[in-house]
Amino acid sequence: MSAPKEQSETPNRRARTAPKPAASVNMEELRELIALLRDNGLAELELENEGFRVRLRRDSVAGPSYVGEVSLHAPAPAPVPAAPAPAPPPAAGPTHPGTHASTEASQDQDLHIIPSPIVGTFYRSPSPSADAFVKIGSNVEPETVVCIIEAMKLMNEIQAEASGEVVKIYVENGQPVEYGQPLFGIRS
Amino acid sequence: MAFNPRKFKKILIANRGEIACRIIWTCKEMGIKTVAVHSDVDRDSLHVRFADEAACIGPAPSAQSYLNIPAIISTAEIFNVDAIHPGYGFLAESPYFAEICEACNIKFIGPPANIIRLMGDKIEARRAMHEAGLPIVPGSPGGITSEEDGRKVAREIGYPVIVKASAGGGGRGMRIVRSEQELGKALETASTEAAAAFNDGSVYIERYIEQPRHIEIQVLADEYGECIHLGERECSIQRRHQKLMEEAPSTVLTPEMRKRMGDAAVAACKKLGYSSAGTCEFLLDVHGNFYFMEMNTRIQVEHPVTEMVTLADIVRNQIRIAEGEPLGYAQDDLLIVGHAIECRINAENPETFAPSPGTISAFNLPGGPGVRVDTFVYSGYQVTPFYDSLIAKVIVHARTRELAIARMKRALEAMVIEGIKTTVPLHLKIMDDPRFRAGDIGTDFMEYFLARNGRKAAAP
Repeated sequence: MSAPKEQSETPNRRARTAPKPAASVNMEELRELIALLRDNGLAELELENEGFRVRLRRDSVAGPSYVGEVSLHAPAPAPVPAAPAPAPPPAAGPTHPGTHASTEASQDQDLHIIPSPIVGTFYRSPSPSADAFVKIGSNVEPETVVCIIEAMKLMNEIQAEASGEVVKIYVENGQPVEYGQPLFGIRS
Repeated sequence: MAFNPRKFKKILIANRGEIACRIIWTCKEMGIKTVAVHSDVDRDSLHVRFADEAACIGPAPSAQSYLNIPAIISTAEIFNVDAIHPGYGFLAESPYFAEICEACNIKFIGPPANIIRLMGDKIEARRAMHEAGLPIVPGSPGGITSEEDGRKVAREIGYPVIVKASAGGGGRGMRIVRSEQELGKALETASTEAAAAFNDGSVYIERYIEQPRHIEIQVLADEYGECIHLGERECSIQRRHQKLMEEAPSTVLTPEMRKRMGDAAVAACKKLGYSSAGTCEFLLDVHGNFYFMEMNTRIQVEHPVTEMVTLADIVRNQIRIAEGEPLGYAQDDLLIVGHAIECRINAENPETFAPSPGTISAFNLPGGPGVRVDTFVYSGYQVTPFYDSLIAKVIVHARTRELAIARMKRALEAMVIEGIKTTVPLHLKIMDDPRFRAGDIGTDFMEYFLARNGRKAAAP
């Protein structure tokens, strides 16, 4: 089977610039190259100089961390690809429990996000008539119970596992939540 | 007899990858809403995109996600599903999961839990199917209790024998033994491997059939005692007991043999009270004798070749049967038309079979007459190392086997997957192999093929 011809429309376009007279590339030029890559929607760029070659490659797929820990930077829902990044076949995308919360939490980079450790229904108080465990402004310690997530008729108490002040609550009482979904934003 | 059908409005698919997509396609055709579950690394997977609703149920490791029963049931409850389709692998053959679904009033799309449990114990399955009338390979009546016991049994059966794990499957926990000197060590290593893989080190012994063909019969049974078979699949091309390609019908089965094997499988299933889809695996020896090996109580990876030659939709039938509909077909309704071949495309190096995860940079699916591709990947998709390496199945259907081989060749040539290594080149070479083209295939085929092509097959 012969190799397919290089496609000119795919994101993996390579741009080669003409060799420059200078023998090395300085930081300023490197920054320009990076900007060139990004602003023109390139995935890869190679520059050859006398005695010098630089290749920049941008990972077009943003994904969650694979190191086995819960990702605190919740990935965007039904991913909207950046300009050249190849998009999967267009589809409306499913309804995820975490859609709105994830988008909001991804902007709160300075807060510690408490994610849901399980799938279930989120409740702010131990029972319908009781007060909420925490509210905006509450101070929490690692063992403070911040909410209940009900799964298969079991009420699981979720602990903060962080210290600080509750500044954001990303989900509503009675809302279904998925694994990893942001629940609270804590400012330490 | 009172039929008690209830239509499903929503099904949760407790699986991932190509089979999850496959189930979603039929659900869409039936107007049934779908719920996908996924691990965090599978967020961009195709089955998630095309489901109506989805939920992340855990991190990448299967034990915490696709095998995480509380997470799956919790999701099913939140989305108020009527039924769960378990696909294959993962929880598809977990009697425990089937029971929990029932306890939570969610229909498990598959046979009853007690049958899953019975067939999951290979020793008991052999015994039960033998009692139900199926021929079995001469072997130990139960598990081997000691080396002395093993020696005695092996002497009765006659060498060569094969040691097999009772809780096993997928070719693990198996050792071929050609003489008594090798028996002790084989019993030990098979048992250790079985204990590690299946948490159960018990083993049994069977006569080893030389150069057998692996022929399996697809059955469909409703919940009212009706059962038919959908013909056979030839699955002899295997490496380390993992199937690489399958075809239907088999090149060696005469209509008379098909009827004998099919009727035997159906009779046994009826006796056991089987329901839903299932597959009885047989070994066929050179004299045309067939022996029951094991039964898989789920839909199988290679189900498409049966669908192509019979025009059946096995997933659709599983759903209908689970909804309480009567089967509606008689055995005489079965038509087997033409020839179908399936190649399993894995994200592996085609020479070393080493896994090859990575990002797919270019992707093209073959099309045209008689071509079907079941896949879940696309250009830009990141193949992760956490799961099975199967990324696509290429299936062709044509009037004759010769035409099907030509069709598979041109389909594979148009199957472009760049950025990772795949086994497409391997399958192309197999299409050109003279033994394959002549239909002269047995479970020794891959060993012969790899040796012929200058590579070593791994020890079985």
